[in-house]
Amino acid sequence: MTCGEARDRLLDYQRGRLAHAAESEVRAHFADCVECTRADAVEHELTRALEQRLPQHPASLALKRRLAAQWPAPTAATPSWWSRWRPALTPALAVAALLLLAAPVLYYERAASRATGERAGLVAEAVNDHLRVLASQHPMDIESSDVHQVKPWFEGRLDFAPRVAFEGDAEFPLKGGAVGYFRDRKAAVFMYTRRLHPITLLVFRADGLTWPTRAPAPGGPIEVYRTADRGFNVVMWRTPELGYALVSDVDARDLNALAARIPPQ
Amino acid sequence: MLSQVASEALAYVDALHNLARYLTGNETDAEDLVQETYARALRAQHQFTPGTNLKAWLFRILRNTFLSLYRRQRNNPTVGGLDTVDADAQGSASEPWLLGDIELDRLRKLVAEEIETALMTLSEEARTVILLDLEGLTELEVADVVGCPVGTVKSRLARARAALRRQLKDYAR
Repeated sequence: MTCGEARDRLLDYQRGRLAHAAESEVRAHFADCVECTRADAVEHELTRALEQRLPQHPASLALKRRLAAQWPAPTAATPSWWSRWRPALTPALAVAALLLLAAPVLYYERAASRATGERAGLVAEAVNDHLRVLASQHPMDIESSDVHQVKPWFEGRLDFAPRVAFEGDAEFPLKGGAVGYFRDRKAAVFMYTRRLHPITLLVFRADGLTWPTRAPAPGGPIEVYRTADRGFNVVMWRTPELGYALVSDVDARDLNALAARIPPQ
Repeated sequence: MLSQVASEALAYVDALHNLARYLTGNETDAEDLVQETYARALRAQHQFTPGTNLKAWLFRILRNTFLSLYRRQRNNPTVGGLDTVDADAQGSASEPWLLGDIELDRLRKLVAEEIETALMTLSEEARTVILLDLEGLTELEVADVVGCPVGTVKSRLARARAALRRQLKDYAR
């Protein structure tokens, strides 16, 4: 590989976007080329300066309120013919449906689809919680990059202890935490970032939820569930007691890298 | 039932406003641009493909709105310094000082205002690709936002970053 070829691939290399073979070639070239190694360091430092020191200009509260006021609410839509008559017609239609369909068949079909629906529901809930955090004026109740400040802050605010050992690092700095809700229960919300991307980690009690992954036996391997919903990548896993959901619009590869650093316990 | 655009788009207002602020160079125009972007997004929500990147879609509307609203002012340097430095006209990044330990040391000492000022001297096109890259959009998504091939995005981004480094040379101590 020539220096020109290595420089052309430099940003992709730093973003982790190269295929394994190409990545190995670039790394091998850097090992032998002082100039390209220096160029790599300079580009990395420029990215760091932009990510950490370029001033950010979030929308003002006034603008957010103006937009929210102009935004369509679920009740603002003109009711359709069906929505107006649905309350009156639904019982009659339901009875008709029951007469037409054999009840046992319906029961077994619904039982099979319910589990799938509930699993998809958990993913949708995790994405909705992430969106709520993004839309919040004050997404963090405690702002700190020190996990040993964030975790004790949850004491007395949750009915469980969120087990998160990852302290954040240069690639995924911890920004803080908050108390949120996942379905019907409280959740510990940890905020990490990847460049300018917010990443939400939700930790909550796993009991009573139809989980996408099996609960591990004590000391056994953790089963991780990876998916995407509405453009967001989601990684979920559970211990016998706690559920974990990691949500962000960062690349799946980046999110998996962060998931690997949060040791399942 | 709200569409995905109606139910999720407001979550990206901070990211959109940040780009708008760096495109227009002032708060008033940035807010107008964001409001117009959301108005257009609502009108065009049926054109959004569910499952694709909503943020990238909103960025595209914002940039197109910016170009249509502010095109007449693009040669006016008092409006956000648009096109005051053409990234494409910048030299290669291979000058010795750009690759030395001195530059590395200077980059580490830059403060926020210096980086912002240097960024604002770049062309609108250069600022856009740098900021979209910083937002974590893939080259494919950036290409979709700015309306050019992926290969062009790759070379534009490299040139834009080289131009920024040249500008930063003047601010670094």
